[in-house]
Amino acid sequence: MTGDPVPHQTADTRPVPDDDIDDDQPKEGTMLLARMAESVYWAGRYLERAESTARIVQVHTDTHVDLPVGEDVGWEPLLTIVGVHTEFDARYPGTAGAPDGVRLATEADVIEFVLHHEDNPTSILASLAKARANLRTARPVVPSEAWEVCNNLWLTSVDHLAEASTRLGRVQWLRRVVAGCQRITGIMLGAMSRDEAMSFLWIGHNLERADLTTRVLDVRSDNLHMQRGDDPYDVVHWMAVLRSLAAYQPFRRAMPARPQGGSTLRFLLQDDRFPRAVSACLSEVRSHLKELPRAEEAIEACSEASLLVASAPVAKLAVGGLEEFLDDVQVALGQLHLRIDHTYFHPSLARWQPESAAS
Amino acid sequence: MARDPYGAGRRPDRQGICYRKKPFTERKHCGNPRDASPAYTGEVTNPVPRTVADERRAGHPSWPSYDTGEYYDELLGKDGLPRPSAEPLWRHFEGLGAEGLVERQEAADREIRAVGVTFTVYDGTTGVDRPWPFDIIPRVISSQEWHHVETGLVQRLNALNLFIDDVYHDQRSVTAGVVPADLVTGSPNFRPECVGVDPPGGIWAHICGSDLVRDADGTIYVLEDNLRVPSGMSYLLENRMVTKHVFPEMFRHYSIEPVDPYIGRLANLLASVSPAPGDPTIVVMTPGIHNSAYFEHAFLAQQLGVELVEGNDMVVADDDCVYVQTIDGLQRVDVIYRRIDDLFLDPDEFRPDSALGVAGLMRSWRAGRVGLVNAPGAGVADDKGVYAYVPDIIRFFLGEDPILDNVPTLRCIDPESRRHVLDNLERLVVKPANESGGYGITVGSQASPEELAAAADAINDHPRGWVAQPILKLSTAPTLCDGDIAPRHVDLRPFTLIGPEGAYVTRGGLTRVARREGSLIVNSSQGGGSKDTWVVDASLASPGSFDPTRAPGDPGDEGAP
Repeated sequence: MTGDPVPHQTADTRPVPDDDIDDDQPKEGTMLLARMAESVYWAGRYLERAESTARIVQVHTDTHVDLPVGEDVGWEPLLTIVGVHTEFDARYPGTAGAPDGVRLATEADVIEFVLHHEDNPTSILASLAKARANLRTARPVVPSEAWEVCNNLWLTSVDHLAEASTRLGRVQWLRRVVAGCQRITGIMLGAMSRDEAMSFLWIGHNLERADLTTRVLDVRSDNLHMQRGDDPYDVVHWMAVLRSLAAYQPFRRAMPARPQGGSTLRFLLQDDRFPRAVSACLSEVRSHLKELPRAEEAIEACSEASLLVASAPVAKLAVGGLEEFLDDVQVALGQLHLRIDHTYFHPSLARWQPESAAS
Repeated sequence: MARDPYGAGRRPDRQGICYRKKPFTERKHCGNPRDASPAYTGEVTNPVPRTVADERRAGHPSWPSYDTGEYYDELLGKDGLPRPSAEPLWRHFEGLGAEGLVERQEAADREIRAVGVTFTVYDGTTGVDRPWPFDIIPRVISSQEWHHVETGLVQRLNALNLFIDDVYHDQRSVTAGVVPADLVTGSPNFRPECVGVDPPGGIWAHICGSDLVRDADGTIYVLEDNLRVPSGMSYLLENRMVTKHVFPEMFRHYSIEPVDPYIGRLANLLASVSPAPGDPTIVVMTPGIHNSAYFEHAFLAQQLGVELVEGNDMVVADDDCVYVQTIDGLQRVDVIYRRIDDLFLDPDEFRPDSALGVAGLMRSWRAGRVGLVNAPGAGVADDKGVYAYVPDIIRFFLGEDPILDNVPTLRCIDPESRRHVLDNLERLVVKPANESGGYGITVGSQASPEELAAAADAINDHPRGWVAQPILKLSTAPTLCDGDIAPRHVDLRPFTLIGPEGAYVTRGGLTRVARREGSLIVNSSQGGGSKDTWVVDASLASPGSFDPTRAPGDPGDEGAP
């Protein structure tokens, strides 16, 4: 279009004297330790978990203030998404899961629990701590800057816990977590070789993403209004679902309809171009598995999960049966994880014989 | 009208995607550069004395209470003026003032915390990660003096390697009466499993971390040779990194020798002991994340670009080769830079209860199927009992006089020496012969009567286990203590590498500093701190070439060397 006058080929093509040629070849074969691979994989999962949980909490707060008193869904859905109802109940007996109209789980309790309570093993802070611990073990294979940012994010998050108890302070705290995790991901994308360690990191990231997308949808399916089909705030709820997954803007651009059950489900489950859609996550996992040795069984498990998601009758699910379907997807994701774990991280002892010694 | 280098009509926000013919045009003048960048770390706006004579008259007002006393100070001479190699540094600090220094110290502390430079302290049974303690005021050594030290360290390590090889072969040094037999074979670091083994090049101790101290008269002594798994190198490198960030301006006109080449030299050394031809697979072996030096193990593995492995990651197969479990099954390992003590290396031959090692590792090493750095058994020369004989060892094996002095050492195993030690406990430092990390040391002048009595009992119970040395007047260096600059005692740990392809000594080393006033214990496990160490060519640092009052960007700045 512009006829750039400068030739793109500017490399010096003069012959180089022989003794100046550095002919070192890259190392052959893999040297990624099983233990390192496992650490990187879990670092990916926990980073994604911390980031997504932070976003979900933020969106839930935003949505909560949009709904009139009496119509809001309370704070328990957050506990459901991160799957800590039992732990919360143990800490605050008789609050969560109380009969409708008697909502005793207060904002302060739930937020504290989801953000950092020590009884919650999957709190945002705990996820950051675990991401940090795994990155620390994996320091030899990840960019040092990624570890530094993660370490700093964890330290700062601990330092500023007190601020997170107010809504205003919480916004800052959660933003910092989201931005920090994104920064770490960005550093890895920009500075890490596309090697096997990267594949494990990305597989972890994407499995966690897929899992969180199903969790967010699961909570929506739990909503009584949806089951009755008479929710006056239907749009508000579906928008919240999209926003929780950073999907609102991409959805608007990709889908013609206003956000509601069928189209939202189709987008979040089956859109191959949106990075948090379950099918897109599984495609990513699959493409990284293909880079790994001995991946046949894991790829098969991945295909099964993909097939299940691709065949979802989204329009029907929007009015019923979503919960059961999502359970199936989560089981398929769990199978995929186990397959990866058994193939790479914890192979059976029989694999301890080298080929040369086995003969 | 000037031509638009990016083509007419291009949207300005899309310049970046165009093919650029030349660098972006940058805004050149933003008023006074000092105003433009108030945060620039090289700024000094206070007028400062400009010559040494001025300072003499002014009595260097920012350090009024700095008194070096009876000690040799690394930065200031007896006249209270900086040594020549430290003059630019000192002048710069004068300009910064105590407040400026405190600011830089805080920046350094933040960076160390953020980067996660830690070491682990043991409090009873649990280990706690602490940020690495670092004092920003560097210690300066002239390159002329360092050259002398370097030569001495290489001589020493060469002799020690010949000695170790001799211990595990003919024991000529014992036959000739240079060292007593029971000192060698009775040492807890003597490994009968190593007798007759021939590691590549006859080198056993490839990496040595020496502890150097300077006495009141300025003499540098070797206090210890750490030949087992000496640590500190990562901290040395990190200290330099932090210093570059908090005093970037100092590195512009001051000829400070770099410390980075160590990693490349270490990589070459490790590759040189590989039993296999071609590109060797090297790993760093750590006891695990709970070890006090884990930070360093991970750091070195990362810097070397090799895997950090634990014992559980490896097996020795029937072919005597070592394999590591990767995601694609087992891979052969050629060289192990092991950061784990001999006794934990191989449960088949040493401690059977050790879960940290690899069964069969010693078998593999003896069969020449894997290189171990340092070689097992090298610690036999890393023993304060043997230490006393090192000057004799150097003369015997090399036929040379020692270049670096030993601290005079009394061996309690010798009855006459023992009597002298027991009679003069309060004037001596009593050390266990085989401990490291500053554990078990009694400094006579600072010990209570009960502690002295306990030390005497320990010596009588087990004379072989103890040595004593005069209390050295350890040199001091200016150190930031609660916002004041005060003298604190320091030592120095340089690292020496010796392989079949030659020797290398770090330029400078890790300076450790006792942070409590008067204390002589510099070990970080005992509350010591650290400093960056600058080996400086004073002849290149002419007083005029570094002028902190001149802002960066002033005319003439770029042309400076």
